[in-house]
Amino acid sequence: MDEEPERAKRWEGGYERTWEVLKEDESGSLKATVEEILFQSKRRRVIESHEQVRLGMMRHLYVVIDCSRSMDDQDLKPNRLTSSLKLLEAFVGEYFDQNPISQVGIITTKNKRAEKLTDLSGNPKKHIDALKKAVDSVCAGEPSLYNSLNLAVQSLKHMPGHTSREILIILSSLTTCDPANIYELIKTLKSLKVRVSVIGLSAEVRVCTVLTRETGGLYHVILDESHFKELLMMHVKPPPFDLETPSTTPFLETQICLSLGGYFCPQCHAKYTELPVECKVCGLTLVSAPHLARSFHHLFPLQAFTENSVEEHQGDRFCQACQGELKDKTIFTCTSCQSVFCMECDLFIHDSLHCCPCCIHSQIGP
Amino acid sequence: MCADDEVSLLVIVVDVNPIWWGQQAQREPEFTLSKCLDAVMVVGNSHMAMARTNKLAVIASHCQDSHFLFPSKSWRGADNGGDDASSSGDGKYELLSVANNLIAEEIRNVMSKSEYKGNSTETLLAGSLAKALCSGQEMKSRILVIKAAEDCARQYMNFMNVIFAAQKQNILIDACVLDSDSGLLQQACDITGGLYLKIPQKVALGQYLLWVFLPDLEQRSQLVLPPPAHVDYRAACFCHRNLIEIGYVCSVCLSIFCNFSPICTTCETAFKIQLPQMVKPKKKKLKQPT
Repeated sequence: MDEEPERAKRWEGGYERTWEVLKEDESGSLKATVEEILFQSKRRRVIESHEQVRLGMMRHLYVVIDCSRSMDDQDLKPNRLTSSLKLLEAFVGEYFDQNPISQVGIITTKNKRAEKLTDLSGNPKKHIDALKKAVDSVCAGEPSLYNSLNLAVQSLKHMPGHTSREILIILSSLTTCDPANIYELIKTLKSLKVRVSVIGLSAEVRVCTVLTRETGGLYHVILDESHFKELLMMHVKPPPFDLETPSTTPFLETQICLSLGGYFCPQCHAKYTELPVECKVCGLTLVSAPHLARSFHHLFPLQAFTENSVEEHQGDRFCQACQGELKDKTIFTCTSCQSVFCMECDLFIHDSLHCCPCCIHSQIGP
Repeated sequence: MCADDEVSLLVIVVDVNPIWWGQQAQREPEFTLSKCLDAVMVVGNSHMAMARTNKLAVIASHCQDSHFLFPSKSWRGADNGGDDASSSGDGKYELLSVANNLIAEEIRNVMSKSEYKGNSTETLLAGSLAKALCSGQEMKSRILVIKAAEDCARQYMNFMNVIFAAQKQNILIDACVLDSDSGLLQQACDITGGLYLKIPQKVALGQYLLWVFLPDLEQRSQLVLPPPAHVDYRAACFCHRNLIEIGYVCSVCLSIFCNFSPICTTCETAFKIQLPQMVKPKKKKLKQPT
């Protein structure tokens, strides 16, 4: 195997004096420190990268869920399987919200075999229904990484080159039962440009580290349920577009046509009840303009606002978005129009709105 | 009936484009900006009178800026109780008379003091809607847009961002259109689940507002309201701005084109055309005699 950068393991590092982070104020209360920690964690999400990187908008993602015996463990309430399925329902909803022209498929693995729960499709309802039904299934046997990856790759390798091919594995077991050499499969995955990421529920497993490193994915192990949710939401954002491979057919013929009660493909007039969908008769991809518009904020991300303390601010003490009084200690200023906002408005603007309310008035959009 | 302590906010966004209203005053003197604001005050008062916990906000959308007519910053800062000047003496609920006076005063300030450069006849509604969304964050709210002038094509992307943010927060956007149909507002109403109505007679604005737009979401299921409009979801191509049905989309930057071209003009990605595969002639293996 090739050399890997050796990260220091936690037990190899020095002592961390975590108790020193908490500081009491004069009355002995920790309230100020707790608020500061919450504030920092909220801001962390907003400050993450805003560089102009080309992102892959059309994604084909397979989610592999481990349904082995270890998922019966009750360290996540009520057990790991129920908790994971519930979080995945939220993940699927959020994924289609941020990537409306992408597709998701679900695979489960137990008893040394892998099975497709749902095929690759762009309809969130189908996946959510399947996840709800899967809660009743029994967790048994051992998972098989090789079989699940193989099953996913069978469909992914037929996908066109300009779309991203991804697999996300939720692995709770520390073992895997494979019929053949998994390192060969890893080489195949690398040549097919499939990006595999793993979220571990128990501990770090070396084969997953190698798998994710070779294919360019992310590997994390959860600490608790809220960390699990955070890690899942990290995969909702589109990954950077792979610049080394020039796309084979980046143009897709799409249509935008509709009528009351259903949508008609403009080429063959086949009727469909929802969009986006690939026409089964003529192969045309059918989308509507709002689907494409939903992805625009990834292409034109909003810059982070600068933080200032409220005492330094000379003008009115009013937030220019919600007209509320500026009660927090810090205020946020937009770098282009110099308007001030309170913390809630800043979070709302960066999470949901993706545009500064005051800059809109002077902006000339595309 | 909703719970007693549930706060429900109605944000009315009024298009006060001075060019359109000026032309309107010449076309039809019976219906001017002040008549329109009278109707807005009536529906605002009615909303606040429906329940003690109902709240109101009014935003005036100008050519290059948007202003909160109510509640205004000066009112928030001042002492809420014991304001003698506001009592109208006719037994009206104090909050309503304060609101009306403030709206009248603020609109006078806005119309006389706002400067605008250029002669665009379009109003930037996206900014007002964004401010409306920020103000209605913690409570159940809905937005009513009264639109006069034409759509501004420049604000398409920001408008769509605002619509998706409203949909995520479950905020309805209703639209009451006075003059020309607006494709953007039709999409907004369709996506968020609100009502779109183009008024046939402008002088009856107050009646339409009270009949169609005053009831909130739970009450609307009991009423027979105007049917939804047919929304044109076709996109415009980036090269000619024509509405197209079939087109080409760049997978990197999502720009839409009506004709195939080897380079995307927005992100300058070069595309490869997939040629039919060449079939190599198969070499037959000669069987070796055993």
